[in-house]
Amino acid sequence: MRRRLGLGFCLAVGWIGLVLLAALLADLLPLARYDETLAGPPRSGPSLAHPFGTDGLGRDVLSRVVHGARVSLGVGIGAVLLGLGVGAPLGILAGYRRRATDAVIMAVNDVAQAFPALVFALAVVAFAGASLRNVLIVLGVLGIPSWVRLIRGATLTFAEREFVLAARVLGARDRRILWREIVPNVAVPAASYAFIGMAVVVVAEGSLAFLGLSVQAPTPTWGGLINEGRTLMEDAPHVVLAPSIAMFLTVLSFNLVGDRLRAMTDVRESGLEPVRQAVAAGPPAAAHPVRDTLLQVEELRTHFVTPRGVVKAVDGVSFTLDRGRTLAIVGESGSGKSMLIRSVLGLLPGSSVRDGHVYLSGDDLTTHGPAEMRSVLGRRLGTVFQDPMTALNPVRTIGTQVMEPLRVHLRMSRRQARDEAARLLASVGIPDPVRVLRRYPHQLSGGMRQRVTIAMALSCRPDVLFADEPTTALDVTIQDQVLRLLHRQREERDMAVVLVSHDLSVVARWADEVIVMYAGKVVERGPAAQVFARPRMPYTEALLRAAPRLTDPVHHELRVIPGRPPDLAGLPAGCAFRARCGYAQERCAIETPPLSAQDGDGHRQACWFPLEVAGPDPATAAQLTRPPAAGAPAPENASGVESRGR
Amino acid sequence: MIVVHRLVRLLVVLVVVTFLSFALLNLLPGDPVTQILGLSATEEARAQLVRELGLDQPLLVRYLDWLGGLLGGDFGTSYITRMPVGGELAGRLPVTLELLVAAQIVALGLAIPVGVAAARRAGRALDQALTALSFALLSTPVFVLGVLLILVFAVTWQVVPATGWTPITLDLGWNLTSVVLPAITLGCGQFAVYARLLRTDLIATLQEDYITLARARGLSPRRILWRHALRPSAISLITAIGLNLGALIGGTVIIETLFGLPGVGRLIVDSIFSRDYLTVQGGVVLISVGYVVVNFAVDLVYAAVDPRIRRA
Repeated sequence: MRRRLGLGFCLAVGWIGLVLLAALLADLLPLARYDETLAGPPRSGPSLAHPFGTDGLGRDVLSRVVHGARVSLGVGIGAVLLGLGVGAPLGILAGYRRRATDAVIMAVNDVAQAFPALVFALAVVAFAGASLRNVLIVLGVLGIPSWVRLIRGATLTFAEREFVLAARVLGARDRRILWREIVPNVAVPAASYAFIGMAVVVVAEGSLAFLGLSVQAPTPTWGGLINEGRTLMEDAPHVVLAPSIAMFLTVLSFNLVGDRLRAMTDVRESGLEPVRQAVAAGPPAAAHPVRDTLLQVEELRTHFVTPRGVVKAVDGVSFTLDRGRTLAIVGESGSGKSMLIRSVLGLLPGSSVRDGHVYLSGDDLTTHGPAEMRSVLGRRLGTVFQDPMTALNPVRTIGTQVMEPLRVHLRMSRRQARDEAARLLASVGIPDPVRVLRRYPHQLSGGMRQRVTIAMALSCRPDVLFADEPTTALDVTIQDQVLRLLHRQREERDMAVVLVSHDLSVVARWADEVIVMYAGKVVERGPAAQVFARPRMPYTEALLRAAPRLTDPVHHELRVIPGRPPDLAGLPAGCAFRARCGYAQERCAIETPPLSAQDGDGHRQACWFPLEVAGPDPATAAQLTRPPAAGAPAPENASGVESRGR
Repeated sequence: MIVVHRLVRLLVVLVVVTFLSFALLNLLPGDPVTQILGLSATEEARAQLVRELGLDQPLLVRYLDWLGGLLGGDFGTSYITRMPVGGELAGRLPVTLELLVAAQIVALGLAIPVGVAAARRAGRALDQALTALSFALLSTPVFVLGVLLILVFAVTWQVVPATGWTPITLDLGWNLTSVVLPAITLGCGQFAVYARLLRTDLIATLQEDYITLARARGLSPRRILWRHALRPSAISLITAIGLNLGALIGGTVIIETLFGLPGVGRLIVDSIFSRDYLTVQGGVVLISVGYVVVNFAVDLVYAAVDPRIRRA
């Protein structure tokens, strides 16, 4: 517990305890009386007899600070209890009942929060009289709206959780649900806010006291002491410093305790932070020739160092790509497709480590500094992301966004850029482009937005276009249009396209070459037509079988790949797919299969027992064969491979 | 539609605020006549004051009467100074407004660069320093901070005067020296709030796809931070500016007393002690109405910052 809450928390609790004890025992402590004048020489600095010195009348400052704590903490505790006592029931009621009750309570609450609280407290205390009771009531009442808001919010989140809904469905009585399910869960945020509320009230009471509108003399208050002390600031600064420091530490402690209690219940802050440290990212890449090709990726690795271990998101991927070709990257969600794209582009979060080489026309991009990289990104490498809803900045017009790369990279004038932007939008099939330039993203449909992001990616005439699931978030009818558009642009501009997709029907139609990824590695690659017609890796076969087709019967059972994608932080030895593979054998668990060719047609697979080369023809490729037994490897499946294979 | 809805809410809040301010004088325990005249007043004087105050009328009639006067700028005449309250407030308002504006400038002027820098290098030394500093600042009551700043800058180093006010119409330079320390005192707490909020929102925005895509377009980090990320991250900041105005106005009451500035807050405090209740009432109404109206305006500013809200 101590380790999680930290040293600061312990010190804060200690200080609060100390102040509380001192306040409770003020009369019993061996201190001078707080109102005894000339207990020491006036305005004398700290000494043994008077640790905090004496004030202008020779009164002991320590004693006055300790007695002042009584008022501060007394009002603090009282006002918080008052706010909690009234605010919590109202908040629970509003959060649990909802509808009219909620609407009424929150409307009143909204109005109540629209007041400048301190000014009102000031006026009320001025009219009703400055006394401990009045200050406590006013500050307590003014705190109620915040309590209502907090408790209602906490209740709302729990009222929708499964266990509460289940209890409701089971017909448990409301009162029972409230006491057994809601109240215990709301208690933690309430406890946290009680401490923060204490800080708020102590400051507010101090403010009133500073203005002379809290408990009246001769009872000392912290705010009052600071007010008295400031007239002596020139020759006796300790008189003002002692209560100031006491007050600061107390408020700080309350805030700290409240904050830590809140952080404890906040899932977002519980240790998912990536650990930053360098890690050797695998064996050094073997010497390789730099080919005369547009894009060459050699042994690219991206690893994340997390508290759970090293996550190998991309683990030794190589490929080459020529102008006018489309390379498809396919695989399940989480297989590393998108991360591969980001690794090539160098757009990785700070917690990652990248290794390997990316050559663009022979230049190694991995040796480029950030500034050099910026001259390549956008200008030679264009990028389109999956979700057009999040790909455009919501607060900037389409025109500003499309024109920006033109202005920054191509140094066009505003007018030139606007004309070019309109032309670009027209070229991707956007009607009335001049008007669209003035629009905001939310005013366009998903398909239109994706066309805009494509236009932006193409604006500086890139050599390679990276399209990361460009149609996944779109309507089926729009998908085809967007892909056609990409294809046409590729032809017109003689670009290369890297198309990431998990939709195999997309890939089969538009790609020239394909890479199949699993657990960060390439498990099969080759000419698209051949890979889909005759998959050799059981994973590719399973992917093809899992792709739904429009020709399926209506109530056809959706096929899925059995098992779950592996945990990238703790990959087992051997083939990563073996636990889900119907054909796996002993060897698969021991040795990792390399990417190897069966014959000289560029088709390679990482599998010890590749499926038969002579499979069915392309038309029925996706409807391959019998279902493999799900789950663990079984002998009869292995023999099945034998009969189909070598 | 949304504007109409908010206008209705604004009117409701205004009615409640003015009624409560009015009722303070009339509903709280303690007889205003005794509070104004003291216990030793004669029966005739009391009766006359009752008539002057209109206390023989029903509460609602008196409220409407007073509200009608307010709409015409008539806050009544003080029984203590025999001066119109409205004129007194009008004379004090510029000081308070200058203090508020200066404090906001200090707060935002520091918070935006610091928040952006901290978000850009989240988790690093600067960010952690900001977290610690803002925590400390948020835990420092404004009068404690003010006293400390006076102790350091006015008493020890003597670079600025500790108290006093030079109107801006008299001498701009002296005016600025008299506002700088109060503005810093008042702005520091806001700075902490703003910088934290901006940092948190910016970090969230920087994870967005459109920011990654901006990087993929080869734009510089500076451009991305200031032109792409800052505006979408400013919504919470603007809300906070509105919501914190309450704390800020409460702060001006203390700051004006501490630094001896002749503003509305000081007038309220002085009037409380001189039992000038009509002036207190007028000051409270002025501040509350100002607060409510500014929050209404802040709601409208959202639309300018985030076009998505315009549609709603």
